[in-house]
Amino acid sequence: QVLLQLDPFLNELTSMFEKSKEKGSVWVTLKRSSLKSKVQKRKLSSAGESIEYRCLIRATDGKKTVSTSVGAKDHQRFQASYATILKAHMTALKKRERKDRKKSTEAEKKEGTSTTKSKKL
Amino acid sequence: MVYIASWDEFVDRSVQIFRADPESTRYVMKYRHCDGKLVLKVTDNKECLKFKTDQAQEAKKMEKLNNIFFTLMARGPDVDLSEVTGKEQMETQPAKKGRGRKQ
Repeated sequence: QVLLQLDPFLNELTSMFEKSKEKGSVWVTLKRSSLKSKVQKRKLSSAGESIEYRCLIRATDGKKTVSTSVGAKDHQRFQASYATILKAHMTALKKRERKDRKKSTEAEKKEGTSTTKSKKL
Repeated sequence: MVYIASWDEFVDRSVQIFRADPESTRYVMKYRHCDGKLVLKVTDNKECLKFKTDQAQEAKKMEKLNNIFFTLMARGPDVDLSEVTGKEQMETQPAKKGRGRKQ
């Protein structure tokens, strides 16, 4: 599996969103992990050493999978960048415009030819 | 596999599941641009909670849950989440103000 540094991971994630616009999905999984095998964990704990945990992040578009991990010190910076990418790409979700609710249904009926932009004063 | 209707319930139960089993719990987000659908899943391989939406405003709420999980997973299940959840509500505890300098 491909464990990347934070920025290359974020670039790959961006690329996955861009590639799966027409069809497909993007999955992102978060899981706590020490990134150590059971054997390593056993050795550490029997030596009285504490095991450092990270947040493992995995992203896939069904074809390619990339992953990265963040620790207590860098998760906040990552969070911000991650949120920015999601905001920029998850644009197909419906926006609830309460004011224009009537207008939007009317526009649908009218096959949306002219822009119904009436200004309410 | 249950779809939870209430966002707040989904968040509360998800954090509970994680705290009960931080080793096994994972949080999955699936986004389909072509369908305009977002599905979230939290499971410890015993219980499975899901939340689905097509609304942009729920994606905004999801951002907070993302931060919650990043914090829980990177720092540990016992971390105090009021930092994370209280970030947008800085009115609650002004911890920076000095104690008892009343004159």
